[in-house]
Amino acid sequence: MAPSQAGHVPTLDNLIKSFNDLPLEASMDSLIFLLKRRQIKGDDCAKATAHFLRHVVAKSKWTSVNHLIEQVRSYGTRLAQAAPLEPVIGNVVRRVLGLIRDEAAEDRNADDVASETASDIQDIQSLAPGAPPPQPLQRATTASPVRPTLGSITSGLLVSNSMFNLLSVAEPLGSPLTGASTPMSSALHASVHALRSEVMDGIEEILDEINQADDQIAGFADIQIHPGDYVLAYQPTKTVERFLIKAASKRRFTLLLAGLQVPDPSAEPPYAALRKRLAAAGVQTINLASNGLMAYIPRVNKVIFGAKAVYQNGGLLVDSGCCVAAQAAHEYLKPVIALCPVYKFTPEDPSNEVVRGELGDPSSYVSYANGPAVDLLDIENTVTDYIPPELVDVYLTNLGPQTRHHLASILADHYKTEDIAFSLQFDEDS
Amino acid sequence: MSKQGGKGGAAAAKGKKPAKPGADEKREDVLQAVILADSFQDRFRPFTLETPRCLLPLVNVPVIEYTLEFLASNGVQEVFIYCGAHHQNIESYIRESARWNPQSSVTPFQKLDFIRVNDANSIGDFLRDLDKRAIITGDFILVHGDLVANIPLDAILAKHRARREANRDACFTVVLRSVGEQPHRAARARGITPVFVVDPTTGRLLQYDEMHPLQSERYLQLDPAVFSHGEFEIRSDLVDCGIDICTPDVLALWSESFDYELPRKNFLHGVLKDWELNGKMLYAEILDSGYAARASNLQMYDCISQDVLDRWTMPFVPDSNLVHGYSYKRVKDGNYVEHRVVIERGSKVTKSVVGSATTVKAGSTITGSIIGRRCKIGKNVRIENSYIWDDAVISDGASVVHSIVANAAAVGAGCRVPEGSLVSYQVRLADGVQLPSKPPARISTVTDDLRPAETDARLVGAGGKGALYEVPRDEDESDDEDGPSYDPAVLQSSLLYSLEGLDIAASSVSSFASDSDFDSDVDDGDYDDGISTAESADMGRGGEFGLGEGPAGPSDAPSKSHDSFHNDAVHGLHDALRDAAGNDFDSAKLEFMGLRLANNASDAAMRRAIAVAFARRAAELFAPEDGAPGLEAAKAAGEALTSKRGAVKFVKEVGVGGDEVGQQAEFALALQRALASGASGKLEPPRAGLLLAALLQQLYSLDVLEEDGILAWWEDGRGEEGETMKAVREKCRVLVEWLENADEEESSEEEEEDDDDDDDDDDDE
Repeated sequence: MAPSQAGHVPTLDNLIKSFNDLPLEASMDSLIFLLKRRQIKGDDCAKATAHFLRHVVAKSKWTSVNHLIEQVRSYGTRLAQAAPLEPVIGNVVRRVLGLIRDEAAEDRNADDVASETASDIQDIQSLAPGAPPPQPLQRATTASPVRPTLGSITSGLLVSNSMFNLLSVAEPLGSPLTGASTPMSSALHASVHALRSEVMDGIEEILDEINQADDQIAGFADIQIHPGDYVLAYQPTKTVERFLIKAASKRRFTLLLAGLQVPDPSAEPPYAALRKRLAAAGVQTINLASNGLMAYIPRVNKVIFGAKAVYQNGGLLVDSGCCVAAQAAHEYLKPVIALCPVYKFTPEDPSNEVVRGELGDPSSYVSYANGPAVDLLDIENTVTDYIPPELVDVYLTNLGPQTRHHLASILADHYKTEDIAFSLQFDEDS
Repeated sequence: MSKQGGKGGAAAAKGKKPAKPGADEKREDVLQAVILADSFQDRFRPFTLETPRCLLPLVNVPVIEYTLEFLASNGVQEVFIYCGAHHQNIESYIRESARWNPQSSVTPFQKLDFIRVNDANSIGDFLRDLDKRAIITGDFILVHGDLVANIPLDAILAKHRARREANRDACFTVVLRSVGEQPHRAARARGITPVFVVDPTTGRLLQYDEMHPLQSERYLQLDPAVFSHGEFEIRSDLVDCGIDICTPDVLALWSESFDYELPRKNFLHGVLKDWELNGKMLYAEILDSGYAARASNLQMYDCISQDVLDRWTMPFVPDSNLVHGYSYKRVKDGNYVEHRVVIERGSKVTKSVVGSATTVKAGSTITGSIIGRRCKIGKNVRIENSYIWDDAVISDGASVVHSIVANAAAVGAGCRVPEGSLVSYQVRLADGVQLPSKPPARISTVTDDLRPAETDARLVGAGGKGALYEVPRDEDESDDEDGPSYDPAVLQSSLLYSLEGLDIAASSVSSFASDSDFDSDVDDGDYDDGISTAESADMGRGGEFGLGEGPAGPSDAPSKSHDSFHNDAVHGLHDALRDAAGNDFDSAKLEFMGLRLANNASDAAMRRAIAVAFARRAAELFAPEDGAPGLEAAKAAGEALTSKRGAVKFVKEVGVGGDEVGQQAEFALALQRALASGASGKLEPPRAGLLLAALLQQLYSLDVLEEDGILAWWEDGRGEEGETMKAVREKCRVLVEWLENADEEESSEEEEEDDDDDDDDDDDE
């Protein structure tokens, strides 16, 4: 993230490293302040939250499942409140809470839960039609050789651990093992211990999902982009960049880059790296000046941008300016494709703050050195936009393209209803 | 120090490439910061009588929170806080804070120590104390406790380190924020304009000075050494945010100079000036992005508050809620509102910050203001651009405009608080009171020595509480100049920036014109900028030439500091010559040399001063002012030069400065000018000429001037400029002719040479 390695400014990587040395409260606080100071933003919030909650599960003292849920919820609430405009934090907390509930239920009634989770997994996988994401499969195959050895170990802990992996990968192989060696009578301590490692593994998987989401989305690039297309990308995020590069490897199209900041003469032109890679693959790029995109819309075949979050009504939280592009495309009936990994789906409605947009500092429009402007102007620099659902045509998730009407089922698959409003009951405390 | 050296050696041995030795890196990793939480100023009085500056609420958050959070965001691990006045308040605030308490598990700092220095009177004392303690292990960040900044220091630290590794004398980096050349509220608010002379390619600081509108000296004098650096920029468009990156050597510099008090005016100025002595290189890091400023006075407080509202200080804005227990949300109309705020219907709140549990009743209008917690704002109240701190009560129908109402103060119904008023803690204004607007009132319940003030019922109304707070004046500051003199602090101690009522010397050039006989016709333009670059450069260049050649004529505009030197020196010498009792000139000489060093006067200026002083004394004897018959010219000249022991020697050594013909000619010219201009008294030109001839003759017979020198002067064209000069010169013709004849008689060979010389001179002209 930060270019200087010898720097003192705290970064996400340093923070994650420091988790092991710091007491829980201290890591919590440093994370909260990184969020508040906007030193962690966007996708990194999700990673940071997952890492931190993994740490909570590993380190905090808890004796029962409810206790653990309570703790995760309270930590999660404080994180979510630290950055009210980063909904992914809440999403990850909800995912972890759901995971704990699943594991607990499984512990209580192994057989029932086994089939339940298994079907759950199947559901998720069936959601990805046609092109199954390559990474998970690969992971599954690398994990499989371990399975027999684990099965031969009699410790209940390890068996249940391995069982989780089995179920999540392929059900038919798993079932005999489950029946054979799940010791239901293990002591409380053991079960806590087992649950801990299961949940931690689960969080690892969430982390993997977050890390791989971009690649998975890029896997759909050749389906979405056709040869000869004119694709307009508004302020491409990392996800969009990866998507475009992947598409360029398979398709010849023309990319129009819009929403570029006025280039700083000393710095590298915006998206230089991306343009180089695309040019190497034979894809032409056209830079559009700030308002030029309207004129190009009739020629454009599709508009692509990355979302920061997707709300349950289908509305999008995006970087500022995207809304203009979406609106323009909508007027000309051009498809608008939002790239949004599943972990960005938020089972909430957008708050007023979100709809109004987050305010950044005005320096991207007016320099502080411009005295008269600083004195006389009120400069509001919104750094986020809210795009109403009717402007979005395709939600391209890591599980495949979706329409607005299917969002509810994705949300239902990933979040438990009891966790949706996890942060509400803590509001009073602060 | 030895540690430092060892490390430097190790780094050099390793070739200072990315692969650093592990131990080295470990120590480097600990980033230390020193916060100066006392400024030894009284600009925030009367508020700082009871609360230290760094705990005053800036947008409802104590200022030191911004500073600490800034350090934390830059990954500082060890913090030392120097407290002076109110140290117990600061310490207890930090200890009670959940985040900063050093015992707390969540503090981002590995270490946070308070250091108290009992007999400290200035920031200099703090830093000298720091040097003694030897707690600083490497580069550290020195900030003030009133800093609001969001700039990342990593890159600056890296640059500093690279410079230090390249050259161990590069020990200090000042972080500055450019605010452009147009008028800027942050530039206006600071009162004193810092002027930095910087080498734009390396960022090295060459000179530092401060200017402010109230000084009589309106010109900046450039150090001649500046010109040896090739390229340089003079910048007065920089806000000094008080962030310094120092190596421990800097502390040693402080210790060496026991009289430095202020980090800028004394330290920075002094170290740069004595660069050749200490060999240290100081650098400036000029930022064009990011925000950094110090709430160093009420106007800066005002300015920073507005900047926070405008989100320039991102992420230090109310809705980041960086302080524990704050719950600001941005709502419509640009407001930031906490929990449990009640704003009744029919009231209008725009661009404001309202703290928790505050109520605003119907019909009130609040714009651009910061309202603290638990305040009660009545009906039909008007509050504009004001700062209402916690627990204040503003009753129905009152109006508060651009003022500060401190904690638990009460403004009665229908009161008028006009612009610039400062209503301190617990002051109570009775109903219907109208505060004066010119000058704005400062009302406090305590006096300067913290005793309860006697309530002034005329000011605060019957049933009110509080009295006018008078800003204490520094006695010793105000009597060192003849005119009304103002400390720039006057500009900085009020909330409003105004030069009204202050007598700004329009032009002080005229008051010295009679003494400095040069055409002091200095251009008055460009004053608004504080300095004019071209002009200053001219002056500096003149000064440089002055060292070699003496005054170069009318184009050499004398700078004000030379004028004050000239004035003081002439007075001192003249008084000594006049003094009937003493017969010794040594003390006057000593004083003169002291003045010369203090003002860094050039040889030319010294020569001029001495010439004027002796000419004046001679003129006084020749033609006393009371009309009494004076001595005749030769006697007056002799008396002036020889009555005091050592005076002749002084003139020879200091006034003339050497045996060279050119120097002697210059001194003669200076004498002529002094007499011709009337600087030495009212003499009509012929009589002045007579006196000059007598003086020159005396000097010749006393072996101060040789005939070559006098003849060179005679040949010099500058002596013939203007009517009076000519008239004065004419009277010396006899003397010169006599000298020439004497020469001829002495030796014909020498004469030939002289003629040759004269020819050369003529050719030059």
